[in-house]
Amino acid sequence: MRDAYLVGAGQSEYGAFPEESYRSLFRTAFEAATDSVPRGIEASDVDEAFIGTLGVGGRQLGLSGPAVTEHVGLGGVPCTRVENACAASGFATRQAVQAVKSGMADVALAGGFEIMSDMSSDATKYWLGVSGETEWERLSGTTFSGVYAQMASVHMEKYGTTREHLSQVAVKNHANGAKNPHAQLGFECSLEDAQSAPVVADPLNLYHCCPTSDGAACALIVSEDVVDEYTDDPIRVAGVGASSDTVGLFQRDSYTGVPASQRAGEQAYEMAGVEPDDLDFAEVHDCFAIAELLAYEDLGFCEQGEAGDLIDSGATELGGDLPVNTSGGLKSKGHPIGATGAGQVVEAFKQLSGKAGDRQVENPTRGLTHNVGGSGGASVVHIFEKDAETEVSA
Amino acid sequence: MTAITGVGAYAPRFRITSEAFEEAWGQFQAAGVSEKAVPAADEDALTMGYEAATKALEAADVDPAAVDWLGFASSTPPEAEADLTARLGAMLALDETATRQLFSGSTRAGTRAIWASADALESSATTALVVAADAPKGDPDDGVDHAAGAGAAAFVVERDGPAEVVDRAEYAVPYPGTRFRNAGEAETQGLGVTQYDRAAFTETIGGAVDGLEADLEPEAAAIQAPDGKLPYRAAGAAGVGTDEIQAAATVHDLGDLGAASVPVSLASALADGYESILAVSHGGGAGADALAIEADGEVPAETALEGDDPLSYAEYLRQRGVVTTGPPSGGGAYVSVPSWRRSIPQRYNLEAGRCPECGALEFPPAGACSSCGALEEYESVRLSGEGEIEAVTTISQGGAPPEFAEQQSRAGDYAAAIVALEDDAGDTASIAAMGTDADPDDFAVGDRIETTIRRIYTQEGVTRYGFKVRPAA
Repeated sequence: MRDAYLVGAGQSEYGAFPEESYRSLFRTAFEAATDSVPRGIEASDVDEAFIGTLGVGGRQLGLSGPAVTEHVGLGGVPCTRVENACAASGFATRQAVQAVKSGMADVALAGGFEIMSDMSSDATKYWLGVSGETEWERLSGTTFSGVYAQMASVHMEKYGTTREHLSQVAVKNHANGAKNPHAQLGFECSLEDAQSAPVVADPLNLYHCCPTSDGAACALIVSEDVVDEYTDDPIRVAGVGASSDTVGLFQRDSYTGVPASQRAGEQAYEMAGVEPDDLDFAEVHDCFAIAELLAYEDLGFCEQGEAGDLIDSGATELGGDLPVNTSGGLKSKGHPIGATGAGQVVEAFKQLSGKAGDRQVENPTRGLTHNVGGSGGASVVHIFEKDAETEVSA
Repeated sequence: MTAITGVGAYAPRFRITSEAFEEAWGQFQAAGVSEKAVPAADEDALTMGYEAATKALEAADVDPAAVDWLGFASSTPPEAEADLTARLGAMLALDETATRQLFSGSTRAGTRAIWASADALESSATTALVVAADAPKGDPDDGVDHAAGAGAAAFVVERDGPAEVVDRAEYAVPYPGTRFRNAGEAETQGLGVTQYDRAAFTETIGGAVDGLEADLEPEAAAIQAPDGKLPYRAAGAAGVGTDEIQAAATVHDLGDLGAASVPVSLASALADGYESILAVSHGGGAGADALAIEADGEVPAETALEGDDPLSYAEYLRQRGVVTTGPPSGGGAYVSVPSWRRSIPQRYNLEAGRCPECGALEFPPAGACSSCGALEEYESVRLSGEGEIEAVTTISQGGAPPEFAEQQSRAGDYAAAIVALEDDAGDTASIAAMGTDADPDDFAVGDRIETTIRRIYTQEGVTRYGFKVRPAA
């Protein structure tokens, strides 16, 4: 199969935007993505589009893909809505890569959007839980904060992971998000703040949970046959991995990891021919602080049970051996469900293009994105790699 | 012949004292009640009845499938129309062909159910189960509410056994306005015409007792107790002394148990080993039943009437839903009533499946085996209701799905766990379950738990019942 390349990516700000519609936010992201392509790109170049959204609020539950692509002038382009809960646009990205690699498309758009802030808090909660296993898991009284808290309870019991480790994730990601102009919660927080916040689902407090967000993000994936038309500094999609699992946590053998992420990571590393040590940065799915710690282990950044030590060591901070969530992650940058996976690709593009501003990783050549649906019913991992060893100034 | 062969009794764990009412109201209107039981937000007459019935069946060592007559009595059934005996019978795993009768509309309902069981045993029934459960409710500033307690009793009744119902009589005469609840109302009331109410109480009780042919010298008298004083005022009419009433009284510690008042007192007297018991109910309107019971030797009994979780008056109003606003409107996740019904064998009876390929247990038993992936028909296995906590959290305000917002407003934070439930062979199946009956801090990874049945949530006006877990007894 031929290679696929990431030639542009952009996003709207994440936050609460009462003046914006899902379409207007998508337009902002689409234009940011096309503007980011070094040699420019025309809407008419796009052969196919994949759009991730959960559909929170039910505002356009059917045909929500074409509803945004026709709005930005892509009427006529085949468009498919991809739904995999919080991993919707991570999987939309994978679909775009498949379309390009298969030869069906030379230019594919992967995008995502979500509006979550324009409803009452009760109505929002009705939608937040919809990706949990409904009949048993939800009706035992949990939404995802509860399910991830259950995972945390076992990880703490088994490996001695502490509440402070969880809070350190929040401190790190807020420190990064404070450097990201697109972040929803772009402020720093102290360890004390992150330890004393109100409890949501013990042991998780408010600072261990990502916000609800409005936002959109887009990425442009092209084939090796046309990549030179768009850039001199191609970023190759070196590895892709994806997996699914039981929707309910209770049906899995292990509660201290996300098996779908382990499988997706292994596939992506194998396809890219690299190991975790070869990464220069990673954007992982930190919907809750424990999720980032589990990702360290699932993706091989450390051994099983050692995520607490890894966050303690500072290795995953900006400037560390493997900076994680330089964008601020879901915690600080925000989590507009359907946009999140594509938004991670935006950060990877910025880092590898040297356009990450104050949070730029020094001269990176390879980065990973990791996007999880629900508590791990779906997971997708991408590894992006600069083709040439072109210098990127820090 | 009609004989009680097994006794069960249950009261919720919450208690509120007369002092707490005095602090709130400046007075307490239920004379003779020092504290009373309060149902938790996820309890009602059906779930309390389930608790008592489970104990009675265990005590009698009767296979639920052998029960061919079920009577369920409550003056506060959770639904004014709908046959609750269908759900109660399924919770208890009774046979679908067992006769079922619902008794309501009066605090006499509990003894009416015992009465009807005797009639049934005299015709074709062989094994009857009588369940009386109640949680009366009045307006907060009314004496009915000050007295209102909560509890349940259940009796396995057969043709032969250690505690024989040797005689019964009834009496009814019109006394409108004594204790009533009009159609569509949630709160029981009375006009409070003191002498008139007392006359109704003593005349009906006296009339029923006078109808007994047996020559009684009861050691204990289970008399209807709307408060802690009224039963003693009927001592003369019932032909007993205050000591005998005191011997069987539960009102002082549990409050007015409505249709379960006499049944719980009777259960308590039988469990305490009294051999000659007079049981006399009274219901507004007014009427009374009198039953004479003679026990020969020990009657198997399992009672759980103790409770030591105190509530303030504000917490009392919250638990009972007086000061909460009900569930929020919304959309999103939805479990239809038909799909809920399909899960009833799991929700009520813990029906799991054994994978024919790998032997692992699957719960719920549907779809591919989560252990080996085989897509085969499962062999049905009933889990024991005991097991261990594998993962757990405490859900705080804001962390609950909106279906549970009302329950959380009423009952506060709750535990949500993944538990490994065991079958008789010791194999386990993991399932998500809500904690109940204990503080959320009492649930930790590795702790032993047992299941019970509670209200899960109410949507579209339909309350869905199912198992929850509590720390093992």
